[in-house]
Amino acid sequence: MSDEQSNAPGPKLAGASPMNDARLEAARKRLAESRDEEDAIEGLREIVANLLGSEELGLFMVDRGAATFPVYWSFGIDPEKYDLGWALGDAGLRRVMDGECHVDLADGDHAGAMARVRAFVPIRFANQTIAILAILRLLPQKLAFDGSDMELFKLLSHEAATPLFAQSVHSNLVGKEPGMKA
Amino acid sequence: MPKKILVVDDSKTALMMEREILEKRTNYQCVTAADGREAVEKARQEHPDLVLMDVVMPTMNGFEACKMLRQQPGTREIPIVLVTTRGEESYMEAGFQSGCNDYITKPIDGVELVELLKSYLGE
Repeated sequence: MSDEQSNAPGPKLAGASPMNDARLEAARKRLAESRDEEDAIEGLREIVANLLGSEELGLFMVDRGAATFPVYWSFGIDPEKYDLGWALGDAGLRRVMDGECHVDLADGDHAGAMARVRAFVPIRFANQTIAILAILRLLPQKLAFDGSDMELFKLLSHEAATPLFAQSVHSNLVGKEPGMKA
Repeated sequence: MPKKILVVDDSKTALMMEREILEKRTNYQCVTAADGREAVEKARQEHPDLVLMDVVMPTMNGFEACKMLRQQPGTREIPIVLVTTRGEESYMEAGFQSGCNDYITKPIDGVELVELLKSYLGE
């Protein structure tokens, strides 16, 4: 997904396979109907587990000032041992920051027969990547990501930020912006 | 009368997707439950033609619910398809021992799901 594309409205259902429509619609509804940020996080975990096939994931915030990526939330991984910058490399990180979904195979111990497929999805808000969803290992029965998964990545990229972070953004603004009330 | 499927999952996302598939891609009617205990109750009340049930759930898991459904006269003949993220052989074996008819893994392939349901329920 290019930066230009990421500025466009969310992925359209027309043209997608009928069964993928169901997946996209379920993901969209689940995020939109989240009661609060905690429920949105649970929704994200459910989407990745049930629709994408992974139970190892993390959501990393983008701290532009410090050029770091602190863990916001994770599931099935030890976040302290995970360095997003190291995992993605400078070029990969730059692409994700520019709004491109990045899928690769981990090297080292997990290469070869037990290849470890990973995906890094930029969570975009106001044309900026504000967080990165890292999907770090697939379930054994899921061998790779396919085109329909890419559609779902795009949907998450465009539509996950508001349910995940709206409350925090609002809380941060309260008190800073004149006339803004809780 | 459309055939009725009881879909059981504690994940709202899974329920939403399975409902989307059933309502838009089949003529089957869909009722839902959020855990095994609710599934056993709903099966008694709704008399579904098939149960599509997750395994890992709070309160009562899919294996336990499957065993209970098999013990009750009114529900023992209902086809049960277990759905889970766990694809290990030991899990599948446990599923069949609990009395399920079929066992599929997540993420669900919508086309395969519909084909499987049709094999039990027809068009």
